[in-house]
Formats: sequence, C-alpha cells, structure tokens
Amino acid sequence: MHETTAAASTFHMALAALIFVITYVVIMTERVNRAIVALLAAGVMILFGVINQEAAIRGVDFNTIGLLIGMMVIVAITRQSGVFQYLAIWSAKKVDASPWGILAMLSVVTAVVSAFLDNVTTVLLIVPVALLITEELKVKAYPYLFSMIISSNIGGTATLIGDPPNIMIGSAVNLTFNDFVVNLAPVIVVVLIANLIPIYFIWGRHLKAAPEDRKRVMDFNERGAITDLVLLKKCLAVIGVVVLSFVFARFLGLEAATIGLFGAAALLLLQCWPHDADEQSKRVTHAFTECEWITIFFFVGLFIVVHGLDSTGLLRLLADKVLAVTGGELNATAMVVLWSSAILSAFIDNIPFVATMIPLIKAMAPSFGGPEGLMPLWWALSLGACLGGNGTLIGASANLVVAGFAERAGQPIRFVPFLLTAFPLMLLSVAICAVYLYWRYL
Amino acid sequence: MKANIIMNPHPMTLSPSDTVATAADRILKHHLRHLPVVDEQGRYLGTFSIYSLLKLTLPKAVLDKHGLDNVSFVTESVGDLAQRLGKRRDEPVKNWINIHEVARPDTHAMEIMLLMLHGRTTSVPVVDKATNRLEGIISFWDVLEKLVGESH
Repeated sequence: MHETTAAASTFHMALAALIFVITYVVIMTERVNRAIVALLAAGVMILFGVINQEAAIRGVDFNTIGLLIGMMVIVAITRQSGVFQYLAIWSAKKVDASPWGILAMLSVVTAVVSAFLDNVTTVLLIVPVALLITEELKVKAYPYLFSMIISSNIGGTATLIGDPPNIMIGSAVNLTFNDFVVNLAPVIVVVLIANLIPIYFIWGRHLKAAPEDRKRVMDFNERGAITDLVLLKKCLAVIGVVVLSFVFARFLGLEAATIGLFGAAALLLLQCWPHDADEQSKRVTHAFTECEWITIFFFVGLFIVVHGLDSTGLLRLLADKVLAVTGGELNATAMVVLWSSAILSAFIDNIPFVATMIPLIKAMAPSFGGPEGLMPLWWALSLGACLGGNGTLIGASANLVVAGFAERAGQPIRFVPFLLTAFPLMLLSVAICAVYLYWRYL
Repeated sequence: MKANIIMNPHPMTLSPSDTVATAADRILKHHLRHLPVVDEQGRYLGTFSIYSLLKLTLPKAVLDKHGLDNVSFVTESVGDLAQRLGKRRDEPVKNWINIHEVARPDTHAMEIMLLMLHGRTTSVPVVDKATNRLEGIISFWDVLEKLVGESH
C-alpha cells in the first residue's frame, strides 16, 4: 500500500514537472497568448489528477488578484484625467526644456509613477509626451526611451504595488506597503541615480537643442493636459486614501486586496454618481475593459500550475538542492537568489519565475530559523526579479511596449544595441543591491 | 445599378513614387479629397487623401495608436505645422497611403452607399478582384447624380 502511494506521488511529481516545463517553454516562445497557455496548463494539472479543483482554487492567491484588479480600475479611471501628461510636461518645463534636464526629469517622473502604477501603464502614459518633446526639440528619442525603460523597472521595485513580483511576494509573506518602502526604496534611489550617471555620459552630455525649439516646449501649457479637473480631484482623493490605507494597513488590520478593490469601488461610485443607469453602465464597462485581463488570467493559471507543482513536494526537493549548494548559509543563499533572479528575469517573464520561487523559498524556512529568517531572501528575490527586467529588451513587458512606440515612431530599439548598454547597467544595479543586502541584513 | 455604371472610369491617380508635394498640389488644384495610388500595371495600392496631408502636419507622437489623444497643451503656430509638412514634401506618397475598402465592378449601388457611410469616406475605388487593377472610382457626387437623375 505504502509503495503504491510512493509510486503514485513520484509519478505525479514527474507529471507536474513535465507540465510545468512545457508551460514555461511555450510561454517563452510567445507563439500562444500567455493567458491561454497558463489556463490550459492549469486545466491539464487538474485533468491528470495532480491536484483537484478545490486545491487548485486554494492555490490562487486572490489577494494578489484583487489588488491587481483594484489598482487597474483606479488607474483606468485616473488616466482619463490627463494628470500624468500634466506631470511630464510640468517636469520638462521645470528644467527650462534643456535636453538632458528633460531626460533626467522624465526618468525620475517615470520611476516615481511606476512605483505606484503598473510599469506598462506608466510608460503608455508618459512615452507619448516624451516622443512629442523630442520631436519638438529635434533630438533623438532613443536615449529618452532607453532611460524611461530603465527607470520604470527601477521605480516599480520600490513599493508593494509597483511591480507584480512585489505584489505576489507581499501577499505570500504578508508584507505591507511600508515594509517594501522601508526596505527597498532607499536602495532603489541609489540604483536610479547610479543608472542615470552612465546615461548622462553616454548620451546626456551630447544632447543639444536650439533655443527656438526649447521655447516651443516652454510654450506648452500643461494645464491644457488636464481634461477633467473634477474627475482629477476625485481620483486624487481616492488615491490619497488608498495610499494612506496601505501605509496604515497593519494598524487597520486590512489586506491589500481589500484596500485596492474598495478604492476601485469608491472611485467608480464617485465617477458614476449621479448619472443615469445607461451612463453608469457605460463608465463601469469602460473601467473594467481597461483592466488587463490577460495578465489577471495568466496569474490565475500560473498560481494553479505552481501550486500543483508545489503540492507534489518537488519544490521542497529543489529548495534542499539549493541549500546543499549554498551550504545552508544565509549570505550565500541570498546572493544566489539575487543574482539568479536577475539573470533569469532578464530573459524570462519574472511573474512565473517569482510564482515558482515563492514556495521554493518558503520551503527553506526550517533551515533559517523560521519565516523571520527568510526576510533577506524575499528582498533579494524582489530586487533581482524586478531589476533583472532591465537586462534585455524582452526582460519586462514595459520594455516591449516602449520598443513598440519606438518602432512606430521610426526610431526602432534593437535587441543587441539595447543589450550592450542595458545588461551592464542591470549588473551594476544588482551589484549595488548585493552590497546593500550585505550591509543591511547579512 | 452596379459599380461599373456609376464609376468614373478615368480618375486622376498618383504613382507610388510621386512626392507629397505633387499630391498636395493636385488635391488643392482640383479640390479632390482622395487620390488613388496605382503602380505601373495599374494595380490599386491605396489612397492618398486629405487625411494623409493632415497626418503629415502632425507630430508622430500624436498619430501613434497609443499616442496623445489630447493635445490642447501644445501651442504650435500654423507656421510650425507648415514647417513640419514642408520637411516631408519630398517623401514619396507610398509612405502615407491608406488602404480603403474597395468595390468590385459588379458591386451593387446599395452596398457602395453602405461602404461610404461606414467607411466615412466620400469615394470608393473600384478594383478588379482577379487583377487588382483600378477600374475607376466612385465619388459621392457620382452616386448623388444618378439618384437625382432617377428621381426626376
């Protein structure tokens, strides 16, 4: 009897591993939409009896899903107000429309906005302004777009809601918004500055614009970018309350999804009231349509696939292997997690990677004196997975979105030239993080 | 009534290597809205229209599919806009054409009217299905003329 159970579990382990590897490979080829791949793989896990539906649903982290949807709805409504374009234009004028000043300012704005918004949304909102400004200044768009890619991935690392890996880690380990800000934001500021310095020496110092072209940018009237002042005030009020709730989440006893979805519902109410039923339904539909359902269902499918894999005990085995390599030492393990996350995330999607790493790291708890001892590893995972996205043009979705803009604007970003500058900068960023982790936690 | 009866069989056309300046002159001189672009064999490649000219005067950041939909903060003068168009005057028209929905010589009048309504266009190219040759063009005025003629 015991033998058959053991055989069955080995079989399930091999089967789950096979499904998992195939899923990964198909996702990487990008031949089939990733949401389809993840959902099919989740279905196959259940069909082959690796886990049942009940277990599969338990594997879905609805705190992550809820927070993602809530923030997407809030952003979908807020972006209509034009506030992000306002911010970009305002910052460009603050530096007298000098080409390098604008590059630095737009990078900082991108980083700050990315810390609170999804990175793809951030670049979708700010890159068009950057393209317009570079066209007016008659300077090449490439350095601006490059720097905005880098800054968006860096900025997104700073907070719980900045990048999906952080949302997943925060939710899995019960970390608050403040935990992320206190532990990651300081090193992120250093990393951003450290990236802007080489960008200045490579491109920034050569950027020149004629006074009359700069004047055209200075003549921009940023107030014109605000399309709906009343809506803007409502959005800022809701976002203010949402951020404050994140800050006091532990004190209030609230989890992230509650805050995000409650904020979304409140903003929908403010935007819809007192319009008639037709108009309300139009507005709610619009806000929901703007949510990235591909990402959401990708998460759902992945959570199930990874949960299936985890339930077979394979990830625990892998965790033991990693610990054997690092000699069970926290320092070495943190460095392995940091560097391998960074290098791998430069080439593969960091969402499935982090989804896999979370149970793997959790399984290491006994070796490091319980969950508390794992904290440096969580920060290493977050920093590595988020910053690794800067290594190549395919490292993060925001990179590809910017590349799309560049292509259509007739100034394409090519894979290899991007890699040659971005990969060393990514290594620099991760090296800074390694020093920081040593200094602060190890 | 079918397309080959209503159409103008000798429309003014452009070749793909004609410049934007040539197209603009012709549009202005003849008060046209659409100029079909055909290759040496007479095959329909697309249409250069007054909308192509509007696009040529706007910054790329505005035209992008994810571009700025609100530009009320930009205070460019007509001179600035004209300068942008001026810089592109020597570009070939083939970079700025749109492929319109086309009618076939045997397409019926009602379908042509529906094409105009849905495509928000006032002219429909008539293209042979097999050879892709431009057989003619139907403008809104051609249709109206026939309608008014019939009703009398």
